[in-house]
Amino acid sequence: MIKYIIRRLLGAIPVLFGLSIILFAFVHLLPGDPVTSLLGQHATPELRKEILNQLGLDRPLYEQYVLYLGQLARFDLGKSIINNRTVAEELALRFPATIELTVGALIFAVGLGIPLGRMAARHVQGWQDGAVTVISLLGISIPIFVLGLTFQYIFAVQLKILPAAGRIDPRLHLELTTNFVLIDSLLTGNIEAFVDALKHLILPAIALGSIPLAIITRITRASVLDVNHEDYVRTARAKGLSERRVDSRHIMRNAWLPVVTVIGLQVGGLLAGAVITETVFAWPGVGRYIVEAIQDHDYLVVQSVILVFALIFLVVNLVVDIGYAFLNPRIRYS
Amino acid sequence: MTRIRTGAVVAVAAILFAACQGTATTPAPTTAPTTAPASAPASTAPSAAPSAAIKEGGSLVVGLPGDMVLADPSLVSDSNSSYIQTNVIEGLLGVKPGTLSDIVPVLATDMPSVSADGLTYTFKLRQGVKFHDGTDFNADAVVYNYMRQKNAPKALRDAYNYYFGAVFGWAENSNLKSVDKVDDYTVTMTLGHPQSNFIIAQAPLPQFGIQSPTALKAGDADNPDPAKSKYAQGQGTGMVGTGPFKFKEWVPNDHVTIVKNPDYWNKDAMAHLDEVIFKPFADQSAELNSLQSDGGIDLAQTILPNDIASLKSDPNYTVIDRGDSCNYGGLQMNQTHKPFDNLHIRTAIAYAVNKQSYIDAFYAGLAEPADNWMPPATQYYKKLNLPTYDPQKAKDEIAASGLSADQLKLDFYYPSDVARPYMPDPKGLAEAIATDLEAVGFTVTFHTEGWRTGYLADEAVGKFPMWLLGWTCDWPGPDNFLVTAFFHFDGDKPNPEFAYGPPELKAAFDAGLSAPDEATAKAAWEKAQDILATGLPTVPLVHSKPPAASKSYVKGFLGAGNLNEPLWPVWLDK
Repeated sequence: MIKYIIRRLLGAIPVLFGLSIILFAFVHLLPGDPVTSLLGQHATPELRKEILNQLGLDRPLYEQYVLYLGQLARFDLGKSIINNRTVAEELALRFPATIELTVGALIFAVGLGIPLGRMAARHVQGWQDGAVTVISLLGISIPIFVLGLTFQYIFAVQLKILPAAGRIDPRLHLELTTNFVLIDSLLTGNIEAFVDALKHLILPAIALGSIPLAIITRITRASVLDVNHEDYVRTARAKGLSERRVDSRHIMRNAWLPVVTVIGLQVGGLLAGAVITETVFAWPGVGRYIVEAIQDHDYLVVQSVILVFALIFLVVNLVVDIGYAFLNPRIRYS
Repeated sequence: MTRIRTGAVVAVAAILFAACQGTATTPAPTTAPTTAPASAPASTAPSAAPSAAIKEGGSLVVGLPGDMVLADPSLVSDSNSSYIQTNVIEGLLGVKPGTLSDIVPVLATDMPSVSADGLTYTFKLRQGVKFHDGTDFNADAVVYNYMRQKNAPKALRDAYNYYFGAVFGWAENSNLKSVDKVDDYTVTMTLGHPQSNFIIAQAPLPQFGIQSPTALKAGDADNPDPAKSKYAQGQGTGMVGTGPFKFKEWVPNDHVTIVKNPDYWNKDAMAHLDEVIFKPFADQSAELNSLQSDGGIDLAQTILPNDIASLKSDPNYTVIDRGDSCNYGGLQMNQTHKPFDNLHIRTAIAYAVNKQSYIDAFYAGLAEPADNWMPPATQYYKKLNLPTYDPQKAKDEIAASGLSADQLKLDFYYPSDVARPYMPDPKGLAEAIATDLEAVGFTVTFHTEGWRTGYLADEAVGKFPMWLLGWTCDWPGPDNFLVTAFFHFDGDKPNPEFAYGPPELKAAFDAGLSAPDEATAKAAWEKAQDILATGLPTVPLVHSKPPAASKSYVKGFLGAGNLNEPLWPVWLDK
């Protein structure tokens, strides 16, 4: 097992290297440059040339790439051309926000999706199944943007029971140490802030989790139905075990496998969906960071952050793969 | 099958029910909305609200289109940073709140005296003023602040220290030859040649404000790498000025907080609020939803004209009219592309466009038709009586041009992905203009480019024959519009953007820019405007006033067309 993990981690290096070349090319071939985001309409053609020269952006591409690799080798992820904050600093600020959002979305998607999937499988072809099907369809087909703004309008503007945007009411003056709002409010014993932060998390988590919810629901339903037909389940029922016992000990344990796969894959999708959710809900996370950096042509930021994302994705997939071995003892890695 | 269908119906019904809850609870306005503009007309004193006694205290949360960029005003040129920093940093001169160009002494006790040759300005400084860190404001502080910008490290100049360069230039090329301490409370500034915008360019800009030298040095503010400057990063220090608010904290991408300065030197302009919190929103709809919810923002600094209607009819909100405009939106043309080299054609276009119809359709009426390349509140403005909507005259001009229908094909560029204060809906505006142009005989072909992916870079070098663009003023002076924005010369060569630059225009500009006194300046700038009126190089369309909106308990807010809006007069009626 250890050898397997090491092999996987070493294998990640050429992947990241190749990715860095593709990223670099992609970002530098985009039309435009950072000067418009720096100076807006104040940028005359002369100023533009001056600044590009000062930033080293008029050097040949291969030269810029080699310099970038050198930086990476020193573990320097670079800084933003626009606001001069280092990528490392910015990620430390923004990642906790995105993690809170994606964990919230996952909890929603898994917490609601698995029971819904099981219910649909248990009452297959019944009205429950129909209702769950519709909910899944809506979850996967309504764009997050539409869902998010609609939620905002209904729950914040009309019903006024939930906040419209942000992570927490700034009037509460929460001191941030870990940059996890939920953790920091508990650390300072500020229950009002904790509740406020939870309220702010509800709508964006549901909007972001809508697609994983749909997928997890369907996969759970399919997986449970599948396992239901297995011989060992029929045997268990024939033995006279209660339906609950059959369910928990035999069905769910085996149905988990594909569900866990899907959850692992969803992490990538969640990061993508986070971009839109963070825009709509003014959530200061990494999704928004990437989009702004691309629009601003903030080259180092785009390159470094996406590399970090890729690394995370590789690690998550590794964790999921290892998780299999625990869930299904028949799977062994050598 | 019926069971699935039943289930589906149940689910859909539940969703529709939830959605309809919204519309059922929309409050119906019962009284006439009290949406009279919260900003008083230009010169009214801020606290002249006769019916309500001002309440002290409270937090105001303001929504902005973007986050602050750096916490050192000398390193930023974006409007969001300036919007925040205007409240904590003051300069020797300032602008009276709610006005565009009423310049008043702030850290100076009077307007400066100027030598007869226009080269030396003498400022008497206010005594007994302290920076937010407790150190004294005096001549040394003024000298330090100006010299650190004049000698800014090369890496900081073009990209970050833009305004100082635009007004004076740097190091040995700077027109600001020296800033000298005469005594603890007297400073002289000496120019290389007279500069008529010396006062009007500096007064509205926090970039020319005075920050505490102690704090600047302690925060490594002059580090050529702003990433390493604690001051610029706003962590633990930054924005240390003399203003009615002081900087408290900045959580990047989340909020900037400024708090009341109880030791502010001007007891007539003390802040009423305890604090102001600025929150950036990337999405306009999200910002509007936040304004309309409980516990969200109290004031949205800029809203789209299309969102006004829903707020105007709701007594819980106030739509704020910003008073005088400080921008320009126009139909730009380049004379290296035919047929724009033909004055009859440009005049025909000027007659063909129905400016008021665009204002009604795209600006919610919050704009005025433009009769000049700068808005009426600009210094030395004069009415030019440019062509107004008259399709018949347009056709006559086309006939007079001698061009055939084949030669009346126009290539029209607009930016595909941006909303600017002077053109909130570029696509809509372009289509409306094209309709008017085609009604008099032109044929229009559209082209678009992305704002950040080429539009600005390409139009600046004259690639576009005809395009939409405008300008929001940096300062309300004629040079900022006519020269900086539009028709500057490089030596004798006109700006390639328009390829228009008769020598008499350059002469008028030179005379205006270096005028040693007001009378000379006025004459020169009026001459420049007359030359432009005759040459009609581009067609001015509108001067707009992008609206703000707030909850109706926000009182005392004074809007300004250039977003120079100190928040000390604001109070909360709740």
